[in-house]
Amino acid sequence: MATTQSAIGRSITRGEGPDKVTGKSIYTADISVPGMLWGRVLRSPYPYARIVSIDTSKALALPGVYAVVTGQDVPETRVGRRMLDMPILAQDVVRFVGEKVAAVAAGSKDICDEALLLIEVEYEELDAVFDAEEAMEPSAPDLHPDMDSYTGLPQPPSGIKNTFAHITWEKGDIEQGFKESDIIFEHSFNAQLMHQAYIEPHACIVDASEGNQVNIWANNKDPYMLRDQVSAAWGVPTENIVLHPTSIGGDFGGKGSFMDVPLCYYLSKYSGRPVKMVMDYIQELMAGNPRHPAVMTIKTGVMKDGTIVARQARAIFDSGAYGAFKPRAYLGGADHLCGVYRMPNARIDSYTVYTNNVPRGHMRSPAKPQVVFAVESHMDMIAAELHMDPYEFRLKNVMREGDASPIGRHWSQIKALDTLEAANKAANVRDARPANTGIGMAMTDLVQGTGQFAAKIGLSDEGKPELHMAFWDTGTGSHTVLRQMVAEELTLNTSDVQIILETTANMPFSAGSGGSRVTLSAGKAVVAAAVDLRQKLVEAASPLLDAPEDQVSLQNGLLMAAGRSVTIAEVLAATGSESLTGEAHQTPEAPDLTSFCTQIAEVHVDPETGEITVKKIISAHDIGAILNPLNHQGQIEGGMIQGLGYALMEELELEDGHISNLSFGDYKIPTSADIPTMETVLIQGDVGPAPYESKGIGESSNIPVAGAIANAVFDAVGVRITDLPVTADKVLSKLQELGNQRK
Amino acid sequence: MNQKVRLKVNGTDHELDIPARRLLVDCIRYDIGLTGTKESCSVGVCGACAVLVDGEMYASCITLAASVDGAEITTIEGIAEDGNLHPIQQAFIDHGGFQCGICTPGQIIATKSLLDENPSPTEDEIKDYMMGNLCRCTGYYGILNSIAAAAKNMNEAAESGG
Ligand code: FES
Ligand code: FES
Repeated sequence: MATTQSAIGRSITRGEGPDKVTGKSIYTADISVPGMLWGRVLRSPYPYARIVSIDTSKALALPGVYAVVTGQDVPETRVGRRMLDMPILAQDVVRFVGEKVAAVAAGSKDICDEALLLIEVEYEELDAVFDAEEAMEPSAPDLHPDMDSYTGLPQPPSGIKNTFAHITWEKGDIEQGFKESDIIFEHSFNAQLMHQAYIEPHACIVDASEGNQVNIWANNKDPYMLRDQVSAAWGVPTENIVLHPTSIGGDFGGKGSFMDVPLCYYLSKYSGRPVKMVMDYIQELMAGNPRHPAVMTIKTGVMKDGTIVARQARAIFDSGAYGAFKPRAYLGGADHLCGVYRMPNARIDSYTVYTNNVPRGHMRSPAKPQVVFAVESHMDMIAAELHMDPYEFRLKNVMREGDASPIGRHWSQIKALDTLEAANKAANVRDARPANTGIGMAMTDLVQGTGQFAAKIGLSDEGKPELHMAFWDTGTGSHTVLRQMVAEELTLNTSDVQIILETTANMPFSAGSGGSRVTLSAGKAVVAAAVDLRQKLVEAASPLLDAPEDQVSLQNGLLMAAGRSVTIAEVLAATGSESLTGEAHQTPEAPDLTSFCTQIAEVHVDPETGEITVKKIISAHDIGAILNPLNHQGQIEGGMIQGLGYALMEELELEDGHISNLSFGDYKIPTSADIPTMETVLIQGDVGPAPYESKGIGESSNIPVAGAIANAVFDAVGVRITDLPVTADKVLSKLQELGNQRK
Repeated sequence: MNQKVRLKVNGTDHELDIPARRLLVDCIRYDIGLTGTKESCSVGVCGACAVLVDGEMYASCITLAASVDGAEITTIEGIAEDGNLHPIQQAFIDHGGFQCGICTPGQIIATKSLLDENPSPTEDEIKDYMMGNLCRCTGYYGILNSIAAAAKNMNEAAESGG
């Protein structure tokens, strides 16, 4: 038998590859179940209104219509990922443009749409509030009078109007710190509303037509969480709810929300049929769960030599009409608002506020792209005023081994400086550049999350491992990496290992994908299950090899002792499959490691038009071992280009609660023609919290891009854009202001 | 009002009795049952629903099925040859040309259309041609590498095999 190479560290291509490139992969919208109907929703055209009456009689009379439901036909219970504040269908009041008011189940999409036109709703408009700061004023309309009693409120009521979370992080004494400072700087920033723009819109099928069991197919990455959410909403016990596996067409944080699933159940119940709901992209852009916009202010006290003494930062996140799409109800990423710098005194205040805008959810590294844009722009603005080079200013203040983070966290192995220096070296920052060309840098860190995962590994009849999980891949290639881990522990080739996706009924709870937790947490469960199976194989082989267990080893897929060997298949044949199953169900400890990333962007700005061309981005990452270079690099590249879209072009344009750019024709995301030259610098350390000393890489590269580009634009033409995205129009108008000043 | 529409899809003849306003994407996905063709933007700008109609790339989400009556249509399911992956498909697997895969059928159809027209495109020609195929996962680098590799492999195979 040929020697098996280590499965780890190789660019193993995806097991699902052949299905993906031939159209055989089945996504939720591709699934049909017998008797299935289509479901569609009627959405509110008003940002805030009382529903005076709804008449569904004409819709119900339309041939082909099986059910029409309104708020009166569903329980008044509220749904949420943590905080339960969103009605299944509007109950008397609508709070944003796009809120679901009624729904139809019919034999075809066309009939649904015809029926929706026949539903008559009378509204009485209410005074709305669209600005988060205004919503915090005592005089603002009270959008959720019962807020203080909502289940899952992240903390005791804040006492501030419409503000359901006021979270603070603090270290030292900022008042004292500002007193000791030579100079104090304060700047404000805005980050825009952005959509995850996964190419696959939300879709689900709910079948509650027969018996007690409810079957669900949904492109939701957290199947167990979804099960628990709908169980609470419907009053159906979790054991009667089964989530079936499906391919997911992109997540980026946006596919953790329940979206139409709670409602679809009632369409199925009332029609007595399975019902499929697929959002079209207009609905996605109008009423998905986009990234939070933020208003941020940062104040920093420094000594004349540039040493940071104190920093106080505030962020107000506009949650939109509901908080239900946030897994923690607030955004933990706001803790990055003081950056990755050493400072004895710091305080962060973050507010999450209701408005009459579309409810916001999670997007890749929630809150961090917003706050890192602010803090990294602020760093350069201070450097400019101090007449210091931005790189030198960072060098002076960046966290080093042994430093506590601004909010008092302690990490082992702080590699911030390494990434800063490496990016700097790759960029040749001191090189002379052509006119109107500049560079800018930005840096961050990202801690991997943890979560509970279950893995079970059995053997096929041929003795090949089969990894059973109820864990859907969102597109990152995690299934392949997990197969690599099984192969590694069982000394086989990755191609020998199959993954078998189970329904939620067949496996204990697993957290889904998200928070860069998969390699770490799912990985540890998979490795533990593989180690368990390996041990059982050794035990079972011992009598066959006539050798004590401690002398039996597994090598190249063979169980060996004293010069003799048996194959896994032979052990299986002798022992039976029952006892040869490895299992693990566990939650790893939160790591004491974080990962740093520094990016440097090089841009050219056309002084006539303000047009920005990003020529190059250098992305330097502090990493552990790489499990699969192809996947690893793909995560860095994809994240970076999302960051580029955030920095330069993507914004859901809101006016009085209405979004105007409701298609990919108007909501522009980067295309193949927009991508810059990219250089990745990997600083490989020898520790990582995930198996084989690896670290997650899914989120960091999208965080610093906007700050780096804004800083580069300043370097190129001397204009500072403090509200995202950095568009040609904004740059041009600032250039004209500058020109006028100079005249 | 229903209408008779004849389509030859991946070599198989279909005679359909469908509403006159039936979109080609719905016809392919639901009437014919080939769900490899995806729908995302529904307005002809993302490329997810791309198919070849008599060899030419169409956005099936903005094409009426009746308007291509009698045409030969190739969908992603018709790209592999005799059960073997097409070199373009293999290149997308080998070079990180997909992550979630939802845009991939469209990317591969577009690549086929590009390489049929221009077997040795430059990097800029590839970027230009592929502008109409959005991908949110890869940042396009993996896709561009895949297309370049596919072109190279196909040209080499053509030279050696004739
Ligand atoms: S779905 Fe047809 S081009 Fe987007
Ligand atoms: S691979 Fe996911 S959108 Fe392209």
